[in-house]
Amino acid sequence: MKRWTLPALLLVEIALFTWISGVRLDSGGAAWTYFRGYFADLLAQSAPALLLALGMTLVISTAGIDLSVASQTALVACVMSTFSEGQRFWATAVPIGMLLGIGLGLTNGWLIGRLDVPPIIATLGTMILYRGLCFAWLGEAENSPFLSVPGYEFLGEFWGTLALITLAFLGFGTWFQNSRWRREVLMMGGNRVAARYAGVPVTRRTLEVYGIVGFLASIAALTFTARNGSVSASSLTGMELRVIVAVVLGGTRVQGGMASLPGTFLGVLILAVLDEGLRGASRWGEEHLPFKLSHLQFVLLGLLLVAGVWLNSRREAQGTPKPRS
Amino acid sequence: MPLSVLLRASHGRLSRSLGQRLLLLALGIVVLLGLIGICLKPGSSFAEVLKRAGPNVAPTLIAGLGMTCIIYTGAIDLSIASIVAVAGSVFGIAVHRGLPPSICFFACSLTAAGLSTFNGWTIRATRLPPIIVTLAGLALYRGLALILADSAVPSFPGYFSIPGEALHLPGKVYPGWLLLGAVLVAVGWEWSARTPRIWQALGSNEEAVRLAGIAPSRVLQSAFLVGGLFLGLASLIYVTRVTSIEPSRLALGFELSVIGAVVLGGTNIFGGEGSFLGTILGAFFLHFVGEALIFADISAYWQEVITGMVILSVIGADCAMHRKRKRMEELA
Repeated sequence: MKRWTLPALLLVEIALFTWISGVRLDSGGAAWTYFRGYFADLLAQSAPALLLALGMTLVISTAGIDLSVASQTALVACVMSTFSEGQRFWATAVPIGMLLGIGLGLTNGWLIGRLDVPPIIATLGTMILYRGLCFAWLGEAENSPFLSVPGYEFLGEFWGTLALITLAFLGFGTWFQNSRWRREVLMMGGNRVAARYAGVPVTRRTLEVYGIVGFLASIAALTFTARNGSVSASSLTGMELRVIVAVVLGGTRVQGGMASLPGTFLGVLILAVLDEGLRGASRWGEEHLPFKLSHLQFVLLGLLLVAGVWLNSRREAQGTPKPRS
Repeated sequence: MPLSVLLRASHGRLSRSLGQRLLLLALGIVVLLGLIGICLKPGSSFAEVLKRAGPNVAPTLIAGLGMTCIIYTGAIDLSIASIVAVAGSVFGIAVHRGLPPSICFFACSLTAAGLSTFNGWTIRATRLPPIIVTLAGLALYRGLALILADSAVPSFPGYFSIPGEALHLPGKVYPGWLLLGAVLVAVGWEWSARTPRIWQALGSNEEAVRLAGIAPSRVLQSAFLVGGLFLGLASLIYVTRVTSIEPSRLALGFELSVIGAVVLGGTNIFGGEGSFLGTILGAFFLHFVGEALIFADISAYWQEVITGMVILSVIGADCAMHRKRKRMEELA
């Protein structure tokens, strides 16, 4: 995949779905209003996925994987939703949610780093465990204290999410780019044994990476609840796969050792546009297809995952491994 | 004969740690049964608990035998829950169309076996890590199950209801016999045949297998094929035991209990060692943990949490045990 493939793919996708949805863009002003609303919505909608994908990029570049991100986010949201609304929510629920998120992430890190459980098995287990805790905590209820908290709504709006995303991707990304920490993490993914011999504290880095994922999951829970207003125990089911596919599409190597934060950003947006487009085209689907168009999403995600990993590995086989970012 | 050397290396009686694991599991089952006996309510009988254990454990156990074959080689199949969902959809469609029962059963099993084999083939063709391929399968097959059901049945209500009496369903009428048959075949086969040992050899050292003149990719393919046959039988029982088949929710979380049973049974999650007998005991152990929680009056949600914790802690302890050995190998 060339450098311009992902942006081009995104533009083609947006053009295609805009055309299918049949919006009239006669004048420049109309187009401006439409696309301004479109992108503001897109960013606010995909904020949780973007935050989780940032963490997932780190995890995957250490040759790990975290299937439990969606369950972590849901559990943090479920626990926060049982706090009383009002001004005090900021002082109680939010810090407790963040601590909980970090704790959940560190639990994964402990299983993987200290006990040497393969990441996929450990996080498959915690995915089901955390989801079970969601149900044990909330049952079948759907709680919605979030929108009665003063100032909370801002986190789900365009400017709020923009601030968080900028902070995460530009702020963290700039530090990450030139840090020793990044080189150590990537080295762990490339060759764990060599990294250990080179003096990289492998267990500690593993704990840190999964802890960061947990923290990002708690922030994702904030943006998710601020936008949705309510949460139930089954919220965000299936999110982990979308996040993984986005990261892989962005060019991060699943075998570890290579990460691309800009790629991840574009990958998430590509999936979000696809999602939005399929929803927009659902009427067309009802008329022309024998099944619901939304079911096709699972199939597309699976195919994209295999295709993405295959393309990444082929790029390496051609002998042009260009680690970007 | 390099082949005979290879076989002898992984042949022989069970290793010591594996034997200890089997003993521990048997002991655990006895303890759990004792706990159930203490908590027994006046209305229920102990014989009833034992009698329903076989049929209830059958899907997990038989799928576990298949998963053991796959994990022997160092691979894994995360997509089995979605495969069961596709098999359920196919079965529901066949029943809906009014096909003869035997054809419905056959279609269900064949679908599961075929998809598992397809997983193996994809891994072989693309040379991608099995985890990634089957993770993609997890999503893809779930979508496939929904699309199949939607396309084949006009205005699909979201579930198939199966008329039980008319069909003489194997999952309800004779699951115990199917279980017994699968167990006998598996254990007998492991004692006498060499294929399981070649799988273990692949899991413990791929390079050695290649040097012994065996194609690793074919061995992997055969493990997925045999795993698929077991999964076919398991999904037949699973699908015919439920009262309504919901493609969107059928068998969610099945893969964890199956992998949990296999790992509980002492099979190394990285491949190379293990036994079918361990998987059998592991599945029964997990089942009785669930039963004990029911008798201890714990709510259904917490049951799931506690079962998950049991599986995770056993896997965690197992991996921590192997950790030292792996470090030693790194030094060598």
